[in-house]
Amino acid sequence: MAVDVNSAKYILGKIASDAYVDAIEAKKRGETVAWVSSNFPVEIPETLGIYTVYPENQAAGIAARGAGESMCQIAEEDGYSNDICAYARINFAYAKIRESKEQEVAMPDVLLCCNNICSCMTKWYENLALELEIPLIMLDIPYNPHNEVSDAELQYVTAQFWDAVRKLEVITGRKWDDKKFEEVKEYSGRSSRAWIKATSCARYTPSPFNGFDLLNHMAVMVTARGKKEAAEAMELLLKEYEENHANGTSTFYAEEKHRIMFEGIACWPYLRVTSRALKGRGVNMVTTIYADAFGFEYDTFEEMIKVYCSVPNAINLEKSRDKRVKLCKNNHAEGLLVHTNRSCKLWSGFMYEMSRQIGEECDIPVVSFDGDQADPRNFSEAQYETRVQGLVEIMETNKEMEGGVK
Amino acid sequence: MMNDILKKFHEVATCPRMQLEHYTSAGEKVILTSPVYLPEEIIHSMGMIPFGAWGGDLELSKSKEYYPAFVCSIAQSILELGMKGTYKGVTAIVIPSLCDTLKTLGQNWKYAVPSIPFIPMTYPQNRNSDYGIAFTKSSYEYVIQELEKLGGRFSMESLAKSNNVYNEHNKVMRRLNEVLSIHSEITAVQRSDIFKSAYFMKKEEHTVWVKALINELEKRVRNCEKTPVVVSGIIADSQELNQIFDDNNLHIVADDIAAQSRQYRVDVPEGEDALISLAQKFANMDNCSVLYNYKKPRIQWIIDQAKEHKAKGVIMVQTKFCDPEEFDYVILKKACEKEDITLVTIELDRQMCKFEQIKTTIETFRDMLIL
Repeated sequence: MAVDVNSAKYILGKIASDAYVDAIEAKKRGETVAWVSSNFPVEIPETLGIYTVYPENQAAGIAARGAGESMCQIAEEDGYSNDICAYARINFAYAKIRESKEQEVAMPDVLLCCNNICSCMTKWYENLALELEIPLIMLDIPYNPHNEVSDAELQYVTAQFWDAVRKLEVITGRKWDDKKFEEVKEYSGRSSRAWIKATSCARYTPSPFNGFDLLNHMAVMVTARGKKEAAEAMELLLKEYEENHANGTSTFYAEEKHRIMFEGIACWPYLRVTSRALKGRGVNMVTTIYADAFGFEYDTFEEMIKVYCSVPNAINLEKSRDKRVKLCKNNHAEGLLVHTNRSCKLWSGFMYEMSRQIGEECDIPVVSFDGDQADPRNFSEAQYETRVQGLVEIMETNKEMEGGVK
Repeated sequence: MMNDILKKFHEVATCPRMQLEHYTSAGEKVILTSPVYLPEEIIHSMGMIPFGAWGGDLELSKSKEYYPAFVCSIAQSILELGMKGTYKGVTAIVIPSLCDTLKTLGQNWKYAVPSIPFIPMTYPQNRNSDYGIAFTKSSYEYVIQELEKLGGRFSMESLAKSNNVYNEHNKVMRRLNEVLSIHSEITAVQRSDIFKSAYFMKKEEHTVWVKALINELEKRVRNCEKTPVVVSGIIADSQELNQIFDDNNLHIVADDIAAQSRQYRVDVPEGEDALISLAQKFANMDNCSVLYNYKKPRIQWIIDQAKEHKAKGVIMVQTKFCDPEEFDYVILKKACEKEDITLVTIELDRQMCKFEQIKTTIETFRDMLIL
């Protein structure tokens, strides 16, 4: 099939791959390159014109292309436990050997870490800073066990935001430009609004897209949401999904018999296996927390800080649950498939209880499987198949009973 | 006299339940304090008893309803004990968010042990700045507010007094470390008892007992006949583990254990506002895997301790599935190699019942040190 270079899929893929190339070229020109954690406020490097590389995305790419195990082993030879996040292990391996045919990246001059995703990130970047002997800008956004972002947290994070800017001005020799900041905020807002609307097109039955598409497209939301081309591409994606719905078409090229929410990070080394087992049974993954995770909607500076304080991994069980319940209900999910991810202790740490509560609240079956986001040694295809089969059987029974006891 | 003191520490350390019942039956309000750091001074000042909850060595069963297997067994065993009713009678539990597993412990606790209220304590990692101190203070104020709802009464005067009680205890524990480093007749098992008992006694009471022990030891001539080692890690209170250290004639001359000496390194500084001073204490804390510092001065701290005490080796007691320690280990390993210090790692789990592998590892380590 000929590639449609005007399609959102092509454009989004190109934005994601160009970001790697741009950073490599910038490095050759002597410009500043930063390695950045995925939920760091993109507004800072984008406004200051710093080229960025997202090690989590690189690790996912390397794992998806089959080199997760060999890279993990390189880090393990240096003493990193195989219990540590596989993204981190892959990144340490790359930092050491500085090459991967699966995904080359530019080496960094500075590290930008925000730990609103996990405390593991703090340790990961500490070690990188030591190993690479480069500065680390640490934006600490504590896990929030409360229901609201307090004034104290707002002030704490705001002060760090401007501290980070001042430090980066010194490192890069560039000045903060309020006008550019406004532009970046606007593009980030446009990207986020379009992303959230696009992903919410799964509310239509059948869904106009295959949920696994989101796993590819979200790379742009992580790396480039503050850019004009990202905003335009996300708006195009939304338009295509709306058109698919109007035309009765979908990128889920099978009969949509069942609709589920997939919980957790994708099993990148087994993306095809995990996708095929669902598609073969007519199961479309219509929603995932990624739909919310990288949609940063805000108008004011204060709202922006609050959004970064409220990313999915920084909030309490009740708020996490409610977000997922909303996604399940809005997108008519009939089941929940939970990835108990060996790499992510935070995400997996209260998943059992949260999943139970989501299942009860939405009155849907919940099934989990063991896996890993990037280390292929922690996944069993047979177990996955069995669990998916079990989930499908329950969903089928539920449909047959048409409102009977589930 | 010495044996009586050591017996007291042993009884308290090995039977915290008895201590708990002693307090609750006297009508005291007991507040569980989970790893790694908490403002015990506040709890103490409000007329309540801070009581350490670092889990226990037991088989996990009920907690598996909440946790997958690859989660730190300290957190899992705290939850297990809560679900089994071991903490019956306590007023609340305070859990900080200093690592990913502790974050989830608090969230799970709300549903697994609904009878004991959970009070979160949120620490900043960029702690040593005006805004970091302000954030710590605000989190302390939240804890105070929650404890007030449970019957505690707060005043700055009382906190200032408690800060002094804790500073005095810190000082005595630091002195104890110095004294123990030249008295190898105190076994690793006994040393562990002394530190562990601090979590289950009022600090002023523990201070008295430790002072008495120091007094007894200072009457004796120094005894450094065993092989000197430094021990690092989150926790090392397993009786079996310490017995292996003793069986191999090892003398812990310094420790970097979170549940032991890391607690006592920093005092509350002098200041007009006792709460700000307490926040300043946290700002000044460092050299720990759960306290952010990209320079990781902890590693050099361990090296310095080994050199200062002429330790022949370092033992890293790695709590299984503890990310923060696993990251630091790699840097420690490189530093020890550079300094030509022998380092051994042993992996410990709260549910461990077979210690043969650790025994073999420590025997080999000892042989390497004495060659």
